[in-house]
Amino acid sequence: MACRPLVSVYSEKGEATGTSVKMPAVFQAPIRPDIVGSVHMDMMKNGRQPYAVSAKAGHQTSAESWGTGRAVARIPRVSGGGTNRSGQGAFGNMCRHGRMFAPTKTWRRWHRRINVNQRRYAICSAIAATGIPALVMAKGHCIEEVPEIPLVLTDKVQTLTKTKEAVGVLRKLKLWREIEKVKSTRRFRAGKGKMRNRRRIQRRGPVVIYNQDNGICRAFRNIPGVTLINVDRLNLLKIAPGGHVGRLCIWTESAFKKLDSIYGTWKKASEQKTDYNLPMPKMTNCDLSRLLRSDEIQKALRPPKKQVTRRVLKRNPLKNLSVLAKLNPYAVVEKKLAKLVEKQQKKKRQELQDAKRGLATVDAAASGGKSRPRKPVTKGPPAKEKKEKKEKKEKK
Amino acid sequence: MSADLQWMILRNNSCCLVKRKAVRAFSREPNNLKGLNSFRFNGLVHRKSVAVEPKSDGKGVVMVLRNSKSVRKPARNFTSIELKRNARKTLSTIRKVIGEGNYRKDLKMAAIRRASAIIRSQKPVVVKKSRGKKKE
Repeated sequence: MACRPLVSVYSEKGEATGTSVKMPAVFQAPIRPDIVGSVHMDMMKNGRQPYAVSAKAGHQTSAESWGTGRAVARIPRVSGGGTNRSGQGAFGNMCRHGRMFAPTKTWRRWHRRINVNQRRYAICSAIAATGIPALVMAKGHCIEEVPEIPLVLTDKVQTLTKTKEAVGVLRKLKLWREIEKVKSTRRFRAGKGKMRNRRRIQRRGPVVIYNQDNGICRAFRNIPGVTLINVDRLNLLKIAPGGHVGRLCIWTESAFKKLDSIYGTWKKASEQKTDYNLPMPKMTNCDLSRLLRSDEIQKALRPPKKQVTRRVLKRNPLKNLSVLAKLNPYAVVEKKLAKLVEKQQKKKRQELQDAKRGLATVDAAASGGKSRPRKPVTKGPPAKEKKEKKEKKEKK
Repeated sequence: MSADLQWMILRNNSCCLVKRKAVRAFSREPNNLKGLNSFRFNGLVHRKSVAVEPKSDGKGVVMVLRNSKSVRKPARNFTSIELKRNARKTLSTIRKVIGEGNYRKDLKMAAIRRASAIIRSQKPVVVKKSRGKKKE
């Protein structure tokens, strides 16, 4: 479990008094938004009032089916005569003025039992989350200028009686922006709730948690958004409204100090709850970056592979000489030899041919590799002259 | 509470989260350099964070760093450094503070890019004289 820091206590003027309190162990409890969410949902169900349609609805007729043979559907029809209603379908959910399908009953299971330990786990998580500024900010509270989270005030706040004084305290603690935010979100509810006495809604502001009400409730209750709770009766629905952790909490000093005796520290069981101690976290150290840097893990790692190996396109050695050379260095020599041999053979063949034809072989290499003009051994007119003669003949 | 744990709580559940049709989720919290909803760029969970914002008078940039010692004290959490001189100085200051100061080195490029984008936006817009088109 992490070491518990000291939290400074602030006066109602927003200044730090010299005193500081050791942070209660609850603030180190594991934060489980899943447990908080599900417990919150079940707890919300417990405030419900039953709704149902009237048990008699749709059945207050003496309708009977006309049976077959009358060219009408077999639905029960209202007996009697003399009125529009007579002969109309009745009883079915598809009939006009019939009873609904599966009429809602008051004995639906409205409330939920939640295991005590789960309830306590949830509230411990929720309280722990109120001590983390990131979570409180992510919930939407404006705490950028608040002196400290968790915010603990002296017990003098409990004796405030005037709302004006309470407002002054909030202003000094830079919480007024939060209250103004609540005021700016005042709007009408969307939906039928408007007609059901739930007309106006607004954001939730800070929750003030006190130990003894010597006037604090009356002072703070009219400030928009503020909720007041006694520390002995902490309510998950107020600490994690909406099922989301991280509501802004303002504690009085004695309330803050009481948390250790209510929830216990891991070393000491709770005094006010029988047989209860704080939930155990699954990991003692959940700081991933720290874990990765720790000796035990670093020792077990191989050095990082910084070399990036990319996919190499396979080239065919039978077609690509350089690839062939990599595989078989002697292949280059072989090829050269083969070329040389080929050249020699060619030369030989040419010599033979020329000898047969009576021509002088011109060494291709000596003439610079150009195509060989084959000189005839016997003298004759040069090719050009021959051509001119031919043309003359043609002209003629 | 480690940053990783806080991230696991906040990654899908935060007032700053913006999930729209884009493939990546964005996040509106103040100290997020790229506005992305990601662990690296999140502005709330880390002990050290960098933010680069335009100065209120529209000339220059403010670099906001988090005091890793006073994370629980939001009032004292941030030190802001005003960078009012020319762009080159601004960017080199940012580079030095983050790089040589060893302060969230992984955010260096993001901070520099954001600063240069802000500076560029603060330059007066030069209207190019368009060549008169012949209209007939």
